[in-house]
Amino acid sequence: MAAFAAILRKDLRLELRAGESVLTLVALSLLILVVMVFALDPVGGPRDAGTAAGALWVALIFAGTMGATRALAAERENGCLRALLLSPVDRATLFCAKLAAAFIFMAIAEVAAVFVLVLFFNLDFDMRLLRLGPSLGLGALGFAALVTLLAAIAGRLRAGDLLLPLLAVPMFVPALIAGVKGGELALAGAPLAAAAQWLKLLTAFDVLFLSAGYLLFEYAISED
Amino acid sequence: MSAAPIEARGLAQSFGFTPVLRAINLQVESEAGVLICGRNGAGKSTLLSLLAGLGTPTAGAALLFGAPSNRLEPALRRRVGLLTHQSFLYPNLTARENLTFFCALYRIANPAPLVRSWIERVGLASAADERVRGFSRGMEQRLALARALLPTPDVLLMDEPFTALDPEGARLAASLVGDAMTRGCAVLLTAHQVAQPGSLPLVPYELVRGRLVRLDPPSNLHEAAPAISRQAV
Repeated sequence: MAAFAAILRKDLRLELRAGESVLTLVALSLLILVVMVFALDPVGGPRDAGTAAGALWVALIFAGTMGATRALAAERENGCLRALLLSPVDRATLFCAKLAAAFIFMAIAEVAAVFVLVLFFNLDFDMRLLRLGPSLGLGALGFAALVTLLAAIAGRLRAGDLLLPLLAVPMFVPALIAGVKGGELALAGAPLAAAAQWLKLLTAFDVLFLSAGYLLFEYAISED
Repeated sequence: MSAAPIEARGLAQSFGFTPVLRAINLQVESEAGVLICGRNGAGKSTLLSLLAGLGTPTAGAALLFGAPSNRLEPALRRRVGLLTHQSFLYPNLTARENLTFFCALYRIANPAPLVRSWIERVGLASAADERVRGFSRGMEQRLALARALLPTPDVLLMDEPFTALDPEGARLAASLVGDAMTRGCAVLLTAHQVAQPGSLPLVPYELVRGRLVRLDPPSNLHEAAPAISRQAV
C-alpha cells in the first residue's frame, strides 16, 4: 500500500509540474468536441442527446489514449520504468498505481469536456449532468485499465504509439456503446434506473479489464 | 553452502545471428568485487543487464543469490543495487524527492534522515531541493550512486560508475563502493580500462569477442594499468 501511494503521489506530483498528460487530455478532448460540433450541426441549431453523448465519448477515447501513451513515455525517460521493475514493488501494485493515475487524469479531462459540451451543445447546467457521472466514471475506469495494460505492451514496440489506439479502441467498442447509450439517457433527462442495463454492461467490462490488467501487467511490462 | 550472490553459468547472449556473450562463467562472493573491462560494444552492458535481470539470456543462466535474476522474488530484488548509463532518476523531481521515492519503493521507514545523509555524502547538499533536470551529468551520476546504494544492497552491479565524475567524485564513488564491499556486498563493475580511481580490491577481467578473460595481476588498480597478461577462464 505504501508503494502504491508513493507511485501515485509521484505521478500526480510530476503531472502538477509538467502538466503533460492532463493538458494533452483536456486540449485534445476540447479540440475534438469543437470539431464535432461544427461537423455535426451548425452553431446555434438544436442538438440531440445522442449526438452530444457520442461526441463526448469520441473526445474522451482519443484523449485518454494519448494521455496513457504520455504517462508511460514519461516513465521511460532516464530508464525510470526499469528502476520500478527492479524494485521490490510487485507488478500488480505498479499496475494499480498507474491505473489510478490514468483514471484521475481522465476524470479531470472529463470534467473539462463536459463543461465544453454544455456550452457547445446548448445544454443546461442541471441535474442531468450529474446523471452522466456513473457512465463517465465507469467508462473512464475501464478505459484507464485497458490503456494502462496496452500502453505497457505498446511502449516496448517501435511503433507502439501508433499501435495503442489501434488495439485499444476496437477492444473498448462494447463499453463505448454502453457509455454512449448511458450518456444519451442521462442527457435526455431519463432517470438513472433507465440506464441500469448500460451501467451493468460498463461494470462488467470494468471487471474484465481490471482483472486482465491486474493479472497480465507483469508479462506486459517485463522487458524479456 | 549458500549460493554466490552473483553468478553467471554458461551465460550467452546473441542479437539476431550476432553473438555478444559466449559461455560466460563467473562467480562473485560476498565482500568480493570484479571489474570487467572491454572496448565499446564488447558486451559489458549486456552482461550487466542480464545479471540485473533486465533480459533473458540466449543460453546459460544469470543468477543472483542462486535464483534466476530475471525472476527474482521481491525480497531478493530489495537486496540488489544497480547503476547503469541511465540514472533511473525522474528529471522533474528534486534530488530529495527522488531518493525519498526510492525509499518508499524499498520500504525504508523514516526516510528523511537517511535521504539527507546520502545527499550530503555524495556532495549534493546545496542542490538537494533542485530538480534533477537542471543537474549536470556528474551531479546526476552522484545522485544515481546514492540511489543505488540507498537500500544497502548485498549485490551491487555498476556499469561504468566513474563516467562523468570529476576526480573528487570518482574518488568518492570508489570509496562508497569500497565501503559497500567492506560490509559484505558483492560488487561487479564494468569499465573501459583497468585503471580505476581509489584502491578497490577488484579482480579484473576483460570481455574479448564475447568471452571473459582473466587479467593478471589484479592488484594496484588505481595505478596506470601495468603490462597485463591474459588468462582465459
